[in-house]
Amino acid sequence: MNHGPLIAAGAFVSLACSWAALVMAPQVQLGSLAPAPIPNTSDVHPANRPGLAAQGAEVYRSLGCYQCHTRQVRQDALLYGARLVDRGSNASTINLELPGSGRTNLVNFNLLIALAKSRADLGITPVAVPAVLAADTNVAPVLKEFAAELKLLKQFDNKAQIVRPTSKTVNDLAATLPVEVLERTGPDEAERAVKLINDAGGKAELVIYNLGPDIERGWGARRSVARDFVNDSPVLLGSLRAGPDLACLGSRAPEKFAAPWKFASTNLASEMEQRLLIHLYNPRLVAPASTCPSAKYLFATKQPEQRFAGEPLQVPGSDKPVYPRHDARALVAYLLDQRLDVGLPEAPVTKPSVPAKIAAAPAKP
Amino acid sequence: MTAPQTSPPAACATAPSAVAAEASCRLPVLFFAFSSATWLLFGAVLALLSSIQLYQPTFMEGCPWVTYGRLRPAAVNSLVYGFALQAAFGLALWLIARLGRVELTNPLGLFIAGKFWNLAVTVGVIGILAGDATGFDLLEFPLYAALPLFASYACIGAWALITLKARTERTLYVSLWFVLASLLWFPWILSSAQGLLLGWRVPGVVQAIVAGWFGNNLLQVVLIGMALAVMFYFVPKVVARPLHSQSLAQNGFWLLLLIGGWTGLSQLSAVPAWIPAVSGAANVLLVVPVVVLTYNLYRTADGGIAEAWKRSGVFRFVTVAVVLLLLVTLRNAVFGIGPGARYTQFTYFAGARTDIMVLGVFGLAALGALHYIVPRLTVAQDELPSEGLVDLAFWASVVGVVSVAIGYSFAGLTQAAVGAMADRNFLGEAVTGVAGHLKLVTFGYGAIGIGALAFLVNFALALRRCCAACCGGVR
Repeated sequence: MNHGPLIAAGAFVSLACSWAALVMAPQVQLGSLAPAPIPNTSDVHPANRPGLAAQGAEVYRSLGCYQCHTRQVRQDALLYGARLVDRGSNASTINLELPGSGRTNLVNFNLLIALAKSRADLGITPVAVPAVLAADTNVAPVLKEFAAELKLLKQFDNKAQIVRPTSKTVNDLAATLPVEVLERTGPDEAERAVKLINDAGGKAELVIYNLGPDIERGWGARRSVARDFVNDSPVLLGSLRAGPDLACLGSRAPEKFAAPWKFASTNLASEMEQRLLIHLYNPRLVAPASTCPSAKYLFATKQPEQRFAGEPLQVPGSDKPVYPRHDARALVAYLLDQRLDVGLPEAPVTKPSVPAKIAAAPAKP
Repeated sequence: MTAPQTSPPAACATAPSAVAAEASCRLPVLFFAFSSATWLLFGAVLALLSSIQLYQPTFMEGCPWVTYGRLRPAAVNSLVYGFALQAAFGLALWLIARLGRVELTNPLGLFIAGKFWNLAVTVGVIGILAGDATGFDLLEFPLYAALPLFASYACIGAWALITLKARTERTLYVSLWFVLASLLWFPWILSSAQGLLLGWRVPGVVQAIVAGWFGNNLLQVVLIGMALAVMFYFVPKVVARPLHSQSLAQNGFWLLLLIGGWTGLSQLSAVPAWIPAVSGAANVLLVVPVVVLTYNLYRTADGGIAEAWKRSGVFRFVTVAVVLLLLVTLRNAVFGIGPGARYTQFTYFAGARTDIMVLGVFGLAALGALHYIVPRLTVAQDELPSEGLVDLAFWASVVGVVSVAIGYSFAGLTQAAVGAMADRNFLGEAVTGVAGHLKLVTFGYGAIGIGALAFLVNFALALRRCCAACCGGVR
C-alpha cells in the first residue's frame, strides 16, 4: 500500500461499481419511461403541465417548499378483490315470480354456484321454487342441473373438509348490487372469482386495494411511482414531512386536509384555488396550528395595473382585498396540478364502489 | 518550493525538515482553518435561525430571502462546502506535508484557489437565499456557483496530489490512503452529479437518485474518509504507540470504499424498490469496515485512553468523533433497511444523518485536528494559547452535536409513530407536537456556534502571539 496510483486505481474501481449500480442502472431502467395512456380516454398521465403550473414548479423550487413537503405517497400493500356488478342471465337463469305477478325475480343458478366456489366461508341454500314453476318444462331441467351442481360442490367440500355455515349464504351476498364478493385477497383468488362469475353469465370486475397509512389519510389513491415524475425537472421529491404530503393535493378531498374543511358552493375548482391562495397568504387563517411560513410577499396590497390584475382575494378577518401576484397564481396552479387518482400499469387504482340502488333480490330459500 | 527528487537516496538527501514542511503549509492551511471555522459559525447561526422557524413560523416571516425553504439549504450548504470541505482541504494538505515529509507545492496558488472556493461558496449561498437553489439535496448551489467551485477544487486537488507525488517519505501511512481516496472521490462524484443533473438533465426520478448518490458519497466516503484520516493520525500519535494492525486498517479501508458508495439511498420512496433495498443492505454491511477501523483505533489506544483524554484536547475531540462514527453507522444499519427505514422515512430522524455526519463525526474530528495544527503553524506549540477556550470549544461542540442528534432523532421518532397510524392527528402531533424536541435542536446549533466562536477567538489569540513574536504578520 505504498503506491499512490494503486490506491487511486482501487478507489476508481470501487466508485465505478457504485456508479454503475446506482446511477447507470436506474438510468437504463427508467431513462425511457414515458407517460402512460389513461384507459378509455385520449389523455395520458402524467400530462404536460400547462404553462402557469410549469411556472409554479419554479416558484415551488425557488421558495424551497420541498424542504418541508414530500411529494411521495407510500403504500404498504397492494391487495385485490372481486366485485359483482351484474347478476346477468343465461340458460340457467329463471324467473321465480309467478307469471303475471308484475315483479321479476331472476335467479342465475350458475352464478350462485360460482359464488359458492369462490367463497368457501359462505353457505349455499337450495332455492325454493313454487310448485307451479317447478312443473314448468323449461324450469325443471335447470333445477335438476342446479341440484347436480350442488351435489358436486358438496362432494368437493367434503373432500377439502370445508364446513359451510348456514347463517350467511351466497344467496344473501348476491342480494345487493354491486357487492364486493372478495375483499383484500391475493391476485390469483380474485381473478379466479371474477372468471367464475363471468363464466356463469354474471358480470364481475377486479377491485384493487392500495393500503397504507398515507392512503388511509387520503393523501393519494395509490403510491407515487417513478412514472409520475417523468415531466418534472428538477424532480422535487422532498425528504421530510414537516408538513403534509402534496403528491395529490389537487384531487384531495377537503375533509382529508390537515385542517379539514367543506366545499361551500358547487364551483369546486375556484373554491380550492381561493383556499390555497389564502393558505399562501397566511396559513394560520385556514389551519390555526400550521407552522408553514406565510408567503405574503406573493401578494400585492395595492391594485396592480388592470391588465395584470386578476381576481382580488378576500382574506378572512380583513376588509381590504389583496391581489395575488403572478407567482402566487402559478404556485397554486402547480399545486392543483398534483394528482394521483389516475391508475398506471405499475400502480393501478379502481374507483371505490358506489352504494348500490337495491336491485330485485334473488329468491330466498 | 524545493521539489524533492523521486529516487529514494536523493530523496533522503533533500528531505525537508518537519519545520520546513510545516512552514510551507502555513499560509494555505491557516487560511483553510480560519475560513472553515468562520463558515461553521455562519452555518450554525443559519441552521439555528431556520430551526426556530420550524416551531415559530412567524419568526422572520414575510421576506422570501429568509424563509425556511431557503435558509435551511443555505445553512446545510454553508456547513458542508464552507466548513467541512474546506477543513478537509486544510487537513489533507497538512497531513500530506507532514506524513510525506514534503513541502507543499505552490502554497500561494493553494491560497488563491482557497480564496476562489470561498468566493464560490459565498456566491452559492447568496444564490440559494435569492431563490436559485437547484432543488437537489447537498447540491443546491446554482450552476454559476458550482462551476467556479469545481474549478477551484481542481487546482486545490491537483496541487495536493502533486505534493503527494513529490513526498520524500515513500511509505504511505494509513491516513494518507484515506486522504488520497477522498481527494480523488470528491471531483469524480461532483463532476458526475453536476454533469448529469445540471448539464445533461437526466429524466425523472433518476435525478433524485443521482442527487442521493452524490450526497451519500460526499458524506460517507469523502467526509468520513477525511475524519478517519484524522483519527488514524492523532490516536497513535497522542497515545505514542504504533498502530495496532496495518492489515486490519487495510481491510477496513477497502471495505469502506467498496461499500460506502452504495449506502444512503434507502430513504427514497417513488423509485424502483430494488434501489432502497440494495442501499439498505449496504447500510448494514458498512458496519463491518467501521467496526474493523474503530476496533483498530481502540486497540491502538487501549490502556492509554484515560490518560490521553486528560492530557490532550485533540484526543478528546477525536475520541468523541470515533464514538459518534460507530453510533451513526449502527443507527443507519438499524434504520436504513426494510421496516426501520420505512418507519423513519420522511422524518427528522432520517434527515439528522447529514447533521450527525457533517457536524458530529467529521466536524469534531476536524475541529480537534485544527486545535493541534493551528498552534503548530502559528506559535509552534502543541496547544492553543487559552486552555479554557479549548475546553469551551470541546464541550460546546459535543453538547451541541449531541443535542442536535437527540432533538432531531426524538422529533423524528414522534413523527414516525404518527405517520404509521392513519387515525392520529398529523398536524397536532407530528408538526406542532415536536416543538419541544426541535427547541433542543436550536439549542444544539447555538452550542455548536459557541464552540466555533471559542475556536476562532483562540485562533486570533494565537495569531496575535505569533505576530508579536515574529516579524509582524502571518506570512
